[in-house]
Amino acid sequence: MKRFMNLLRKEIRELVTAQLVVSLVFTLALFNFIGRTSRKEVEKAMGTQTIAVLDLDRSASSLGIVTGLESANFKIESMEGRPKEEAIQAAGRGEAKLLLVIPSGFGDSLQGLAPREVETYSFMRSFSLIGARSQVIIRSVISALNDVASDRFLRAKLPDHDPDSLKNPIKTKDFVIVKDRMAEGSANMVAGLVSSQSLLIPVVLMMIVIYSSQMVISAVAMEKQNKTLETLLTVPIRRTSIITAKMLSAGLVGLISAFVYMVGFRSFMGGLGADEVQAASGAGGAGIMRQLGLYFDTTGYIVLGAALFLAILVALAMAMILGVLAEDFRSAQNMIMPLMFMVMVPYFISMFADIATVSLPVKIFILLIPFSHPFLVSQNLYLGNYGMIFGGLAYMLVVFIVLVGFAAKVFSSDKILTMKLRFGKKRGAAA
Amino acid sequence: MDMVLRVEGLRKTYGKLEALTGIDFEVRPGEVFALIGPNGAGKTTALRICATLLTVTGGQVTFLGRDLAKEPDFVREKISYLPEEAGAYKNMKGLDYLKFMAAFYGRTAAEEKEYVDRAVGITDLGARLEDKVGTFSKGMTRKILLARALMTKPVLAILDEPTSGLDVLNALEVRSMIRRYVKEGTSVLLSSHNMLEIEFLSDRVSLIDHGRILDTGTPGALKDMHKANNLEEVFRSAVR
Ligand SMILES: Nc1ncnc2c1ncn2[C@@H]1O[C@H](COP(=O)(O)OP(=O)(O)O)[C@@H](O)[C@H]1O
Ligand SMILES: [Mg+2]
Repeated sequence: MKRFMNLLRKEIRELVTAQLVVSLVFTLALFNFIGRTSRKEVEKAMGTQTIAVLDLDRSASSLGIVTGLESANFKIESMEGRPKEEAIQAAGRGEAKLLLVIPSGFGDSLQGLAPREVETYSFMRSFSLIGARSQVIIRSVISALNDVASDRFLRAKLPDHDPDSLKNPIKTKDFVIVKDRMAEGSANMVAGLVSSQSLLIPVVLMMIVIYSSQMVISAVAMEKQNKTLETLLTVPIRRTSIITAKMLSAGLVGLISAFVYMVGFRSFMGGLGADEVQAASGAGGAGIMRQLGLYFDTTGYIVLGAALFLAILVALAMAMILGVLAEDFRSAQNMIMPLMFMVMVPYFISMFADIATVSLPVKIFILLIPFSHPFLVSQNLYLGNYGMIFGGLAYMLVVFIVLVGFAAKVFSSDKILTMKLRFGKKRGAAA
Repeated sequence: MDMVLRVEGLRKTYGKLEALTGIDFEVRPGEVFALIGPNGAGKTTALRICATLLTVTGGQVTFLGRDLAKEPDFVREKISYLPEEAGAYKNMKGLDYLKFMAAFYGRTAAEEKEYVDRAVGITDLGARLEDKVGTFSKGMTRKILLARALMTKPVLAILDEPTSGLDVLNALEVRSMIRRYVKEGTSVLLSSHNMLEIEFLSDRVSLIDHGRILDTGTPGALKDMHKANNLEEVFRSAVR
């Protein structure tokens, strides 16, 4: 145990290099910077924007539009008294992103049910989506005016009827059923909420797997490159202890790196306003999800945690073997590609396809990849497929044990000293 | 007293290549025994097998009367091995490297300190041990690695080309380090392609070529037998 701790301490110290710390700090700073910059942009867009208005009508209705825009926090730049062409040019020179032209006779046309066109001219000085927001707002102001005008008209012509029923004679009420639970809501919304809940799992898993496998691969490859491995292998400590110490330290450091990365990512997403969006959709959605049983209780979280943990162990064991096969640090970096690929496949498939309904060969392919299971577990927890869940956990455990056994075997064999895989170079040329 | 190490009919193949064709030698208590021969003769292969790093294809190696292939953990407790091309952890200070290695062997903190102190004495590097190994020259690295191999007073120290790649002065220092510190009950199995230095270092030598042992004896006896002035001439005569 003392020898193991001695080795573990060394492994951790080897992994926590200045380089790692710098790259983590850099990542954090970068995300923070992007987050802050985009937050500023959003604030600018949300803040007062200027709209140029050329009101050729000056009726009560056209003034209504202008007032509506003002109450939506827009600054109105009046183009009063200019002909249209000149107004377009003048507005383009100013800071307004949009020119609104209300034609003369607009107010009368509303009364007479002979619609006249309101024109908008957007000055696209950049192509950011946020910049195009003012047009969307004008549209909704006009749509609200449309509602008011048509309601007024309907009430005048058909005083006995509710204008809303006249405009929407068919109404819907949507229900969603999951297993034996039912709640009011749309399938679209529930699917969106579920995927936003479980999308995080493959992302987190991917981060941790990538970080810690990189760690463990380089931990082995560095020993080879620095010619310390031969000495280490003659020291009185068990092969399994060497493997465990390397995996444990890589897992720990990888977990911490992934955590730092996630914190950075959150501050980045926070900058884009995703927090608010999520909070808003969550507030309405949480009730429905709870009614449908689409949430994790404590057991659910434990099972999910176990699945993630097993997936990390599998990744570490795989990385360990790849690290042994690699000759030095650089080829180790190439070695990690197939592993990353294996983590990405279930992620992308789950984004575009329903694992329950894909064809059998594809399904078997997905189930064989150990990293699919943490993701499947979260969905199966919702659906109560406990057989699938424990099957998945057991499968990952078996894969892990087999891999560690294989890694220990490779470590005790001649291979660890004699195995040399080179990419891009023929063996003959190397010998 | 028992043999420290006995190698009988040892064969080792890498795929089709037969690196050792069935060699015999033994290391007696308290002696420095050397395998000498040209590059590719099979020295490193033999030493790696004795250091529990490679499996045997045929024959047997016994260490203190026990089968090395069956009890590698027992052997690792009692030997130390200096690989031909070895490095130390670059980010560690020299002293920390010695402490790290000592912790695998010492049963108590006092014993660990004793090992480290001995190693510090052997290296003679003084304050430079506070620097990171990455800043060390080749000679300094070799000295610290040799010191760590000798500090635990192993029953058998296996040193593969201990002076390879070193300049004349550093090689001289390393040689005298080995001679000075093996006295206290440690036996040494070493290899070299430098036949002249072996004469100065070893009590007995085996001449090895193409995985075969040509001759074994004290340098003096070998020179007499082959009527040669030095081991280089002995080797030339033995190959013929
Ligand atoms: N890992 C290996 N794979 C294949 N052949 C090897 C390997 N290591 C050594 N050999 C071959 O075995 C023979 C003996 O090598 P080695 O023991 O390193 O000799 P020496 O140490 O005396 O220079 C050489 O022909 C060498 O090419
Ligand atoms: Mg050699």
